[in-house]
Amino acid sequence: MTGQRLTIIGERINPGFKSTKELFEKDDLSGIQELARRQAAAGADYLNVNIGSRALYDKAFMKEVIQAIQDVVNLPLSFDFPNVDVQAVCLETYDIEKASGRKPIVNSISETRWDMLELLSIRPFKVILMASERLEDGVGRANKFSAEVALVAKRMTEKLISGHGLSADDIFVDVSISALSSDTEGLLHMAIEGIKAISNDPSMRGVHLSGGLSNIVQQLPAKAADGSDLKSQIERAFITLAMPYGFDTVLGTPWKQYEPLAPDSPVLAQFQQIISARGVDAMRLVRKLYRG
Amino acid sequence: MLEELVRAIADMEEELALQLVRDFVSGGGDPQQVLDACRDAMDLVGKRFEAGEYFLPELMLAGDLLEQISAIVKPLLVGGPQASVKTAGTVLIGTVHGDLHDIGKNIVVFMLEVSGYNVIDLGIDVPVEDFVDKVRELKPPVLALSGFLTLAFDSMKETIDALSDAGLRDSLKIMIGGGQVDEAVRSYTNADAFGLNAMDAVSLCRQWLAA
Repeated sequence: MTGQRLTIIGERINPGFKSTKELFEKDDLSGIQELARRQAAAGADYLNVNIGSRALYDKAFMKEVIQAIQDVVNLPLSFDFPNVDVQAVCLETYDIEKASGRKPIVNSISETRWDMLELLSIRPFKVILMASERLEDGVGRANKFSAEVALVAKRMTEKLISGHGLSADDIFVDVSISALSSDTEGLLHMAIEGIKAISNDPSMRGVHLSGGLSNIVQQLPAKAADGSDLKSQIERAFITLAMPYGFDTVLGTPWKQYEPLAPDSPVLAQFQQIISARGVDAMRLVRKLYRG
Repeated sequence: MLEELVRAIADMEEELALQLVRDFVSGGGDPQQVLDACRDAMDLVGKRFEAGEYFLPELMLAGDLLEQISAIVKPLLVGGPQASVKTAGTVLIGTVHGDLHDIGKNIVVFMLEVSGYNVIDLGIDVPVEDFVDKVRELKPPVLALSGFLTLAFDSMKETIDALSDAGLRDSLKIMIGGGQVDEAVRSYTNADAFGLNAMDAVSLCRQWLAA
């Protein structure tokens, strides 16, 4: 895998991070700018922008945030709202010149909110496709199996390319990386198998495979039983298993180390055991990671 | 022995806890006391979770252990298993429309159930009318709305507005949870409270339903 590098969509402009939440609460636009610069300097390829629920009722602030970020970095942005009205504000505000002509990303569209594609009338964009849910007989359903993930990814990709003029390179299929601490249903297993299935499909060649990796360590302690950095090793365990199959883009923190673990890493072995387990057995194995 | 049981459950010593329960009831011990010990143990687990000493897997393992213990002692309660349906109250729960996430909600359901609440789970992507109809039908004291996506905040607001329009809001305590809920979202949706995790949901129910 040497020489390969993951594309990084910098995730830090999001009130899910406590320090960022404070910046938003204080309307600290220069603090947001600093965060944008810091991610760019650390190697981010895109910057994800999420201002939380305020986007729903404070469109002026949404605009100000985008403009402030674009004033200091020339990276393309990824707008993180599953909502047409908010996305419209973002896409209208986006200054493509300031991003050296590069298109923004709409994060995210799924079969259940396909009408968001009407936003293409505002400007061309790349898109993150949520492959964790599907529309069946008009009803949204959460996918539980990798075959469902691969099928819905293929269905959406075909429509985007044949019907909406996007190229494979404009598409990021998000396989939805679940939290290990509550994965009793094998959803991480589904994500990795889904990546494998998509990479085996010649019609999906050139499409990017992505996921929000920080979610995987939610609600877990910082340290493993042996005192080592648990969170980083779990993130890297996922990368180790997914990268060989074309997982090439991570929504994550640019200054983190996103590289595969050594093949003999104990955490890698434990991670593989956990994602093969189900129910409380999986929880018992997760607990072992940090209790020994 | 009951103190030992509380400690064993809270310290996640599954085998020991189950053995203690079997020994206690086969020696003629009162099964209701076992259930009381379970509740004390769960309080301890909840406190350790809030203190950052325990994590989600411990909550779920403790919940599972409580279920196993209940399965042993409930048939032995005076009046049989039916007598044990001394519920702490009913909670109606669901993921609001437009949102298909259920992992967090399912953990909340599980923790509420092991804490003695009668939980009615409407599932995911629940239409506003379904919440209104069920509240009208069941008159639960507590409604819990879950949602992970930011669009869920609008759905929560619509659901709560519809309950007000139907005249059902006043008799109801509503909590929201999931994703990035916070005080701003609570106030935007007009919910009574928000919770950041499953133990918050249990604590809120305890506050609201303390008889």
